[in-house]
Amino acid sequence: MPVDLEKILRPVDNPMPPFPAKHMKVASGEEMVIRQVTRDEIPSILPHVAPLVWVERDFYDVVAARVYAELLAFYAHRMQDEYVLVAQIDGELCAVVNGRMVNKDVGMSLHTLAMRRGLRIGAHAFAAKMEYHMDILGQKEVLIVAESPIGFRRWMIEYNLEKRFDIAHELGGVPSWALTKELFDRARDTLVVGRRPVPDELLAKAAAAILPPSDPPTPPEDLLAATRARYDPTGTALVLQRWKQEGKV
Amino acid sequence: MTVRDVYVIGVGITSFTRLEYPLSEIAAYPAMMAMKDAGTRDIDHLYVANMGGGRVNHQTGLASAVVDTLSLTPAGAETIENGPASGGSAVKTGYMAVASGLHDTVMVTGAERMREVNNLEATDFVATLTHPLAEHIYGVTLPSLAAMFTRLYMEKYGVTERHLAMVAVKNQNAALRNEFAHLQQEISIDGILDSPEAMTNNPYVAELLRFFDCCPVSDGGACVILASEEVAGKVDRPLVRLAGVGQASDTHAVHEREDPTDLLAVRRAAAMAFERAGLTPADVDVAELHDAFTILEIVESEECGFFPKGEGHLALERGETALGGKLPINVSGGLKGRGHPVGATGVAQAYEIVHQLRGEAGERQVDGARVGFTCNFGGFGNNVVCLVFKREN
Amino acid sequence: MPREIYAYKCKKCGHVHYPYRMVCRNCGKNEHNEFEPVPLPKTGKLLTFTTLYSLPPDFEVPSLGLAIVALENGITVTGQHRIDEPETGMAVSVEVEIVRRDGYDEHYGMVFYKA
Repeated sequence: MPVDLEKILRPVDNPMPPFPAKHMKVASGEEMVIRQVTRDEIPSILPHVAPLVWVERDFYDVVAARVYAELLAFYAHRMQDEYVLVAQIDGELCAVVNGRMVNKDVGMSLHTLAMRRGLRIGAHAFAAKMEYHMDILGQKEVLIVAESPIGFRRWMIEYNLEKRFDIAHELGGVPSWALTKELFDRARDTLVVGRRPVPDELLAKAAAAILPPSDPPTPPEDLLAATRARYDPTGTALVLQRWKQEGKV
Repeated sequence: MTVRDVYVIGVGITSFTRLEYPLSEIAAYPAMMAMKDAGTRDIDHLYVANMGGGRVNHQTGLASAVVDTLSLTPAGAETIENGPASGGSAVKTGYMAVASGLHDTVMVTGAERMREVNNLEATDFVATLTHPLAEHIYGVTLPSLAAMFTRLYMEKYGVTERHLAMVAVKNQNAALRNEFAHLQQEISIDGILDSPEAMTNNPYVAELLRFFDCCPVSDGGACVILASEEVAGKVDRPLVRLAGVGQASDTHAVHEREDPTDLLAVRRAAAMAFERAGLTPADVDVAELHDAFTILEIVESEECGFFPKGEGHLALERGETALGGKLPINVSGGLKGRGHPVGATGVAQAYEIVHQLRGEAGERQVDGARVGFTCNFGGFGNNVVCLVFKREN
Repeated sequence: MPREIYAYKCKKCGHVHYPYRMVCRNCGKNEHNEFEPVPLPKTGKLLTFTTLYSLPPDFEVPSLGLAIVALENGITVTGQHRIDEPETGMAVSVEVEIVRRDGYDEHYGMVFYKA
């Protein structure tokens, strides 16, 4: 009898209570819904994450590549106890956040990927994720890292996270920070918002289809420009590259 | 001494956003556009406005780089640094060069590239213009000075957070009509002030001043070419004269001012510019004020003489400062919507006014604008440059 | 020994300055350094204040109280405040403490407390 290898490779997920959807008004005056998505919906999210892999600013490339891998792993049953929340305005995908339940007391925050900027959408989505860990899963702390300075300011500074530098985070083994129940309760009034239940019509619209982001971050016209911005402020690398392309050197 | 008339013969600008190009190119691109606009490459002298090249971009002596990038050597060139009023100062210096008869055609280009560093470092870089011992060591930043000022202004004149939000919505949404503006995202009073989530959407940056009360950190460049009457007569563009310039300073440390709700440098610089131009605030059809923080638009509209002291917010309520009102202010989006690359801002204000007076501003055109005004505010009101422009034909 | 922050009194006209400047703002007559350092008073009245949430990167705190205070001799100064519920016009006391650390340098400055 052949061994069912898939049975060995596929983790058995522990039961996790669902995240109750919520809605809120963002700065533009539009209503945004944050809800949990099922495995079946992952294929309609992936195409909107993929292009961000080529955006070499604010670490979108690193974050998008990792989110893509995490979503795919979730879809293909290659990740234990993962959940995915999305933020949508009029069905349009605005942010994806995900995380993992490490055990009943500890959560592992994975990523926050905002597809529309300037409205604090990423911050709202991150807050919903913390709410899920603390209020719904009832965990004691969530381990967090930031890949970009924007994330650092949002999470480490705004939530005043505690250092857990002795614990290597699942994202790259870097030193962790932690949101404790106490810190979350302190941030609750100012950072965690949203209304429940979501009106049926609003929720139906969001669930009907995950529409592509209307104005996602895009790579600069010259790919090397971003690289140079980080490593070569003089621009020499860019000019050299152009000359090479034009056959001047 | 006779003073020659000075005309603007060419203007150029870049998008204000994150620009991943060398600082010298950000300064040179609008200059190319301005030379095309003026139809001349005959430039006698170049002034480059920039505040942070040395600190943020590791590039000093920017003017030498720009003059060579444009192949305008051997024209003379210098960099002008006057904090966030660098742009206005450079235009004023260009004015002096032409008015005095030293040069006939002068290029003034301003550029800043602040997004090369992260937002925390950018804020700290701008904060270095506060008093090193009496302000900077405490962690004072420009938003915190503006916030302390706002509290006093609210207590004294009855300005409310709603007035500030009205300025934010007016200017950020005006930016949607400006293809070069940084913020292209509509906002609403409901979303930033009234809805249950508004206080989280729009958190305090420094208490009483919120996120949407502050201008974004931007990269960008802008350019104007100034010339004598003789040169301007040969250029086939609507004739706009730089009719008056004014500049004034105030104490370096904000706490030393006798009445901390007065911005005396703005009042004096504006009065000086109007006097030189032989015009009054009542003559102005369109104004670009330095709304790095929403409160500043209200206060400057008073100190520049458009409204009585303490009544700027009432004019705002009546819609007088919106496009279509009695005196449209910041129809370009202002610093709040267009963005604030510090060295470029003063020049970008001049760019907008020249566009308006030429009647080329498209969707955001103020009908029949003949006289325009700019206020470029350096430090926290310790170094201010005002300019008055007039359409002549 | 308690630390002091000094104001500068013009030796010609008696005008007191803070911060330091080389020429008297009042009489304009003194030569270089003709000022007498005088310690700033330790009580005053809160003129205006803020809580700053967007801090330079060397501050490892989520927010910082800043204030402008009119000291009892009429000199106004900027400093940090550590007051839970500040109100304009309230009486404050002043301590001289470390307000910023810059690498190995420690900067002392004025910190305001509820009097």
